[in-house]
Amino acid sequence: MAGIEISALTKEFPGGVQALNGLDLSIADGEFFALLGPSGCGKTTLLRTIAGLETPTSGSVRIGDRDVTRLPPGARNVAMVFQDYALFPHMTIEDNIAYPLKIRRQARETRLKHAHDVGSQLGLDGLMRRRPAELSGGQQQRVALARAVACHPSAFLFDEPLSNLDARLRLEARTFLKRLQRQLGVTTVFVTHDQAEALALADRIAVMEAGRIRQIGTPREVFGRPANTFVAGFIGSTPMNLLPGVVRDGAVLVAAQQLSVLDVPDGEVVVGVRPEYVAVTENGPLAGAVATVENLGTSSLVTVDVDGLSIGAVVPEDREVEPGTRVALNPTRVLVYRDGELVS
Amino acid sequence: MMLVVKRILTYVVMGVGTAFFALPVLWLLSAPLDDTPTYAVRPPRTFSLDNFASIMDNRYAVASLVNSTILSLGTMVLVVSAAALAAYALSRARVPGRDALIYLLLLLSSVVTGTAAMVPIFLLIFQLGLIDSHFGVILVLTGGLLPAAIFLLKDFIDTIPPSFEESARVFGASPLQILRQIVVPVARPGLATIAVWTVVQVWGSFLTPFILLRDPDKQPAAVLVRTFYTEGGSPNLGLIAAFSLLYSIPVVLMYLLAWSRYGFRFHGGIKT
Repeated sequence: MAGIEISALTKEFPGGVQALNGLDLSIADGEFFALLGPSGCGKTTLLRTIAGLETPTSGSVRIGDRDVTRLPPGARNVAMVFQDYALFPHMTIEDNIAYPLKIRRQARETRLKHAHDVGSQLGLDGLMRRRPAELSGGQQQRVALARAVACHPSAFLFDEPLSNLDARLRLEARTFLKRLQRQLGVTTVFVTHDQAEALALADRIAVMEAGRIRQIGTPREVFGRPANTFVAGFIGSTPMNLLPGVVRDGAVLVAAQQLSVLDVPDGEVVVGVRPEYVAVTENGPLAGAVATVENLGTSSLVTVDVDGLSIGAVVPEDREVEPGTRVALNPTRVLVYRDGELVS
Repeated sequence: MMLVVKRILTYVVMGVGTAFFALPVLWLLSAPLDDTPTYAVRPPRTFSLDNFASIMDNRYAVASLVNSTILSLGTMVLVVSAAALAAYALSRARVPGRDALIYLLLLLSSVVTGTAAMVPIFLLIFQLGLIDSHFGVILVLTGGLLPAAIFLLKDFIDTIPPSFEESARVFGASPLQILRQIVVPVARPGLATIAVWTVVQVWGSFLTPFILLRDPDKQPAAVLVRTFYTEGGSPNLGLIAAFSLLYSIPVVLMYLLAWSRYGFRFHGGIKT
């Protein structure tokens, strides 16, 4: 078991595409760490560089107390689960799980016994003699996990481990994955483009954009206090309201109404408020007519037109409002961004 | 009404077509067993196995089948191993102008074994001192078949996800282990298809061995069958028919074997 240290990591692909740009990152031993970002942000390249499948242009990767930057993938003692699981179609499940041990020249009996132990730990009893094509997506995913577990690595690397499952199965697999990681206590880095998945699973999240890390923090920090407007817009199942505003004598104004008083210099700002933190009330600083109501199950997202601005607010299921009604909005936990960065 | 007429016409056309292709096959099945075969397709007048016996008497006939086997298997080994390596490299490496290269090779390959190149090929093989050697024929046939084999295999290997090999690499497998334990087994149906295809191509090839092998002891069946004449100078139909039947059996068997094991279906990785 080991932490992962990445310093000044840069990866430039032939043709000049800069996938990673001077990245620094420190992942603690036993941590469940998410790399989150839109497609093309470099998160998969970062994971593959940790695995050794890509060589960095410059910078270094350390796993535990070893510098592995120039080591081949097989010498890094990490296990990777691929998005398509990469189960070998010509081998049975037991042979698939035992494959890493075969590479380490363990006797067939030893490695099959070990494969069966790991398999039953992951609920694969009775499937061990089948071939990957005969298994469901969820089962295949567990086989891929079992194969990773079987080689006792110092770190797990998961590339979009849940994205090939359908929505319902994904939630089950998420819980399963988190429990497994807690049990094993192995440092785990996983890549996802799904912010909900990252928030639910990770101890800490790195939000990436265009080869850079825009914020590192716990799910609570990243959700509650996004460091910049990119993270603010990316995290959250309902998009954050990012409203043009001004600060005058410490008063934060949106649509000429005062939302709160903060200790920030005067000037133009962007005001961020999560819809979950906007209360629909009888009297609040912002007033307008309800434009649309979207049902989210236990709550509804209400979009209100305030002086030409569309502001979202989440209301509980028994407090719904009809489109067209005039309401007042009372935003709390107001964040202020200047030049895209959080100032308060 | 129109539909009925249309359907009748369809069946008539299909029937004529089937008969056209079935007649030679039927002749091939009946003539060898006939004492006095003619060009007509008919059940054997007097049933006999004499034609097969006379093949055994012909000192070149059995040897020619052995020669065909040597040429086929030799070419097959060369084509499959070289095409597998080339196709794998072309599938995985980013070579600029890769597709153009493959199409160019494919285009030129029909020239290599074609009639137009026979004189230069003869001279080339002559200068290499490989006239009248099986190895020379194998080399020329391999050269002619390789581009198409590479093209077919590359398409097949393209469907194998690179994550298979990457996964094995992360577990510490060496390139040779990856090739032996992952790539070859996954690509086996493709390799088998190419192997059968190569054998069939060589088994039936006439021009190249005809020109490069002067010694009748070394000629394959496809070349030898042309010498089966009676003393009177007319084709020895009994011998030709019986020999042709023997000659076609291995190919049919290979198709059946490949079909039953792989069904000629390519299977790659799982769908993503």
